[in-house]
Amino acid sequence: MLRAFSTSATGMAAQQLMVDTIANNLANINTTGFKRSQVAFQDLLYITLTEPGTEVVSGTNTPTGLEIGSGVQTAATVKVFSNGELENTNKPLDIAILGEGFLQVSMPNGDIRYTRDGSLQLNANGELVTITGYPIEPAISVPIDATSIDIGKDGGVNITDAAGTQSVVGTIQLARFPNPSGLSSEGGNLLAETLASGTATTGTAGESGFGTIQSGFLEKSNVQMITELVNLITAQRAYETNSRAIRAGDEMLRQANQIARF
Amino acid sequence: MSELTDQVSSSIDALTKEFEIIAHNLANVSTAGFKRRSNAFSQYIETPEAGTETYLPGSIELNSVFDFSQGNIVETGRSLDIALYGKGFFVIETPTGPLYRRNGMFYTNQNGQIMDSQGRIVAGEAGPITIPSDVGIEQVSVSSDGSISADGIPIGKFRLVDFGDNEDKLVPNGENCYAMPDENIQPAVAENIVVKQGYQEASNVKIIDELVDMIMVSRLYEANMKFFTASMEVANTIISAIMA
Repeated sequence: MLRAFSTSATGMAAQQLMVDTIANNLANINTTGFKRSQVAFQDLLYITLTEPGTEVVSGTNTPTGLEIGSGVQTAATVKVFSNGELENTNKPLDIAILGEGFLQVSMPNGDIRYTRDGSLQLNANGELVTITGYPIEPAISVPIDATSIDIGKDGGVNITDAAGTQSVVGTIQLARFPNPSGLSSEGGNLLAETLASGTATTGTAGESGFGTIQSGFLEKSNVQMITELVNLITAQRAYETNSRAIRAGDEMLRQANQIARF
Repeated sequence: MSELTDQVSSSIDALTKEFEIIAHNLANVSTAGFKRRSNAFSQYIETPEAGTETYLPGSIELNSVFDFSQGNIVETGRSLDIALYGKGFFVIETPTGPLYRRNGMFYTNQNGQIMDSQGRIVAGEAGPITIPSDVGIEQVSVSSDGSISADGIPIGKFRLVDFGDNEDKLVPNGENCYAMPDENIQPAVAENIVVKQGYQEASNVKIIDELVDMIMVSRLYEANMKFFTASMEVANTIISAIMA
């Protein structure tokens, strides 16, 4: 049987995964804080038919070997953490992180998740929560008598009460990872720490490598429609070509079968 | 008669291998840093007596070498996507010896060391390159000579090597890496190379070229098969003529 069939099949599967990834990127083009994924491929192992340096005649060795590869495999899907464009919303509780860092979100079971989506809200108890309703970590409560709220560049949450006095009720802390590409996506704009990502370092916005917080803005997704569409066309064509290789291989086998007809 | 069929089966065998190599090139059209293999046929040489070389009639052999030509440079915006422009390789440290690669999609492990997608450490000129924990990935910058700095402070330089004319002796090791089986060949420091951060080197497979080769192989294969069938018929005719 032709090895080329399975080789081309790995090529088709790879392009299919590429289309799946592009589809998810495009579907999330308007998702706040979404980071696009890119697929990383690597070549599969090789079958060595002739070792390089095999002796052809005494004293003469082949300069190169003959290795036939067996296709392609996916190494990883990698999230690209470049910053998205900022959109002005004029809502004081909408925050965008300019630079590196994630907001920490505390889940009902006590786990911490991480997000770039800064569309914060106040819940019935006056706590700062994400748009899904999970409180941010460390928890910040806004008193009921606050008339206005304002988040500074360092993440400090300032309120003005009915009497007109200003006070700081808490500071939003950011988290950072040695390898953000290693974070696992949990859906709902949340990311979870893994062995690959390393442990989170928390800190104050604007200090030691953390980005600053911009209130009144949201970070849009970093998906570029043109780039994705170009990638989509490329993936589709590559898929087609790999399927054509299977067809050509099939044709070759058909001809081989016809020899026996005499 | 049998001589003819031997020749045909030798070329069919070589064409099948060439077809498999084309299929592998096509499967890797989206693999960053992949280098296509180009195919050439040569005739078998045999030495019936010492000192004289003759070609064994009709028998051909497939020679397949890496085409190390430059792939396109594609922007990704990821700070640890590093593309190489020019001749040279990154070095990956493994327990079984160094591996060489063109694909520069790197990551950091939990200790902040730069590694490849399989978790193998990327060599710097002075050992592994560690990004300090108080510096974010986005603050890492790589200059065009491969020097890496974190928030303005130099932390190392990628080890970039060049095999010169011995490039052809590299063998593929899968997972975007090459190995040098000949221990006597030591690479030199790469001179004519530009390092670009935030870019990937695309595969140098060109779909059109591979398709043209594929059509050529299919047609040659077909022709060989036709020749084979025709020679069978000739043999049949001769046999029946004698028998009659």
